[in-house]
Amino acid sequence: MARRKFVVSLAALCLALAIAALAGLGTGAGKAAARGKQLSGTVTLFGWTTGTTEDNLLREVIKGFQKKYPKIKVDYTAFGGDYDQTMLAKFSARQPPDLFYVNGHVFPVWVPQGVLASLTPYIKKFHFSPKPFYPRLLNGFKYKGKQYGFPKDWSPLAMYVNTDMLAKAGAKVPTTWTQLRSTAQKLKNSNAVPGGTPICLSDDWARLFAFVYQNGYNGRIMSSRSMSTAAVRSAATFYTGLWKSGLAKRPPDIGASWNGEGFAQGKCAIAFEGSWMLPTVKQATNIHYRVAPLPKNKTRGNLAFSVSYSMAKDAKHKLLGWTLLTYLTGKVGMRRWVSLTGGLPSRSDVKPKAGSAVFANAASYSHVWQGGSKFNDVITVANNELSAVAEGKTSVNSMLSKIKTAAKDAGQ
Amino acid sequence: MAAISARERVQRWAWGSERLREALVGYAFILVPMGVFLVFFIFPIGYAVYISRYEWGIFGKIDYVGWGNYRTLFHDEIFWRAVKNTAMFAVAVVALEVTLGLALAVVVNQTLRFRTFYRAGFYFPSIASSAAITAIFIYILSANGLLNSFLGLFGYHTSRPWFYDSSTALWSIVGLNGWATSGTIMLFYLAALQSISVEVYEAAAIDGARAWRTFWKVTFPLLRPAHFFVLVVAVIGALQIFDQAFIVAGADGGPNYSTMTVVLYLYNKAIASVQFGYAAAVGVVLFVGIFVITGVQRLLFGRPDVA
Repeated sequence: MARRKFVVSLAALCLALAIAALAGLGTGAGKAAARGKQLSGTVTLFGWTTGTTEDNLLREVIKGFQKKYPKIKVDYTAFGGDYDQTMLAKFSARQPPDLFYVNGHVFPVWVPQGVLASLTPYIKKFHFSPKPFYPRLLNGFKYKGKQYGFPKDWSPLAMYVNTDMLAKAGAKVPTTWTQLRSTAQKLKNSNAVPGGTPICLSDDWARLFAFVYQNGYNGRIMSSRSMSTAAVRSAATFYTGLWKSGLAKRPPDIGASWNGEGFAQGKCAIAFEGSWMLPTVKQATNIHYRVAPLPKNKTRGNLAFSVSYSMAKDAKHKLLGWTLLTYLTGKVGMRRWVSLTGGLPSRSDVKPKAGSAVFANAASYSHVWQGGSKFNDVITVANNELSAVAEGKTSVNSMLSKIKTAAKDAGQ
Repeated sequence: MAAISARERVQRWAWGSERLREALVGYAFILVPMGVFLVFFIFPIGYAVYISRYEWGIFGKIDYVGWGNYRTLFHDEIFWRAVKNTAMFAVAVVALEVTLGLALAVVVNQTLRFRTFYRAGFYFPSIASSAAITAIFIYILSANGLLNSFLGLFGYHTSRPWFYDSSTALWSIVGLNGWATSGTIMLFYLAALQSISVEVYEAAAIDGARAWRTFWKVTFPLLRPAHFFVLVVAVIGALQIFDQAFIVAGADGGPNYSTMTVVLYLYNKAIASVQFGYAAAVGVVLFVGIFVITGVQRLLFGRPDVA
């Protein structure tokens, strides 16, 4: 009798456990969230910041997380510089933060080193759907079929134009390369930018390559093969021609550290930058400007700059890290982030802030600024060669030939 | 001199002898600093050589490459550009800082009013943050900075961004570094100047030597031990130039590789490219270079204690 009672009790227990397990699978994300609410501890978050404003805005978003998960404390550290150096030291000491930023172009360098945790098991286990994310951005943080990060936001390049200067020159906002040249010429002829230059143009392939895509190229960024294409050659010739003809200058040549500073100081009428330039321009209250799509040539083309939230393989609190990641890149967290910063959402189910349509519309034709694991080797050569062309010390063909060799050596 | 017999030698070093005790106390005193030296200087050098023979990632060894990193390095155009830049920088900056440092030392060694103020003032750049000084110089040497405005007063109108023009970038860092480090050199020379006996100068004065002649015929030769020390320290420091080049141009060493130095290239390879093995090879080559140059200096200028 006692034996039978024991067997019945055991069967009932098994049944209860099975029902609980099935219920757990069935509710998916909801269950994960519920589990998150029960989780407690401190999760470390590392990122970089360009100023206290951005730093404070992320803290605002984190407040929302802590309201939802009161037992999880977020220890957030923002770096002003040397972020990569700090992270490498943390990785090698096996003391990484639980969650951290990874720059899109750094991701291919770090991921083969085995420092990042694959998020694919978590995605499956907690039913976190990657579907709402823009595929191109999401793929930027994928390696060998596994997801290693979710984009926190992104930005393509856009054209900032000083409307007062354009009006003075009697020019319209250019929409094509030909118009860009003619507008710049009008600005120059009318001296609409006193003491400055019509266009602020960085000697940076992270700007030039957007022109390459506008020129009909559709392949991999900075590959050795790309350097032999007519699309790259003519885009580079057009871009560097703006310096040669005196229609553009590099920011340091007009006393600015970057395009945004030059534009905000009224030292140029046109600049190509991402949405990160908006806070700088907004602070310059005397500058009246408009943000327009990049002028196109054969087609529309652009670059996408993105940063992911990723977890380390050696993270101490992976579950807490995952819970924070899913909040920050989830619909609620991202909506809050976008509303505070004006950054572009990386999820299609979160609407961009009003006024950022120019940036958002570029999603379909933007390519993530990213190369292989030796991308930095190529960029070091490419940007130095580009500055040599800007100074008239080498030719476009010689530059492309050297970049091609560097890309080949880097296996790109 | 009478030869010391083997028995006497043993007795001198016998257990409990004063000579042995003295030696042990001496070794005890240097034990800690030598330990620190071994752990933080000698071991890292050996470990760098070890790492340089591997493809080395964040978590350690990836693949054994033997001398592969060195072979690649010797065919690496950017590395040789960095070596050339570093050599040019070292020659120019050492000449500048030694000349400036010696001149300042001679000046502040005179009986002047506010002498302490001048000494502190000239030394200040050496103890101020290199990053802060470089940041200020970036503004001074920018296209519309103070230097160009100053030159404009003399009719030389230019909007040259001195740090961002490949023909002037390295020389601008030479000027900045030379000025910033001259205070330390001044201090070394000042100590040496104060150790020269006043009687030597009095003898020169009696012989009718004027200030300039006294400097070249008396002061300068008597500073020989200081020259050796200063040159060794200055050359080693110059060959390791990194911070100012990095702040001015970032890890790329631009424009047109003009600010790429050997240590900056090492940083570029280690941090931005995560190629620690290759970066270690760069470091080892730099170490060997500095070692050889210091040896040559020793041969040329003699022992530091020979006046």
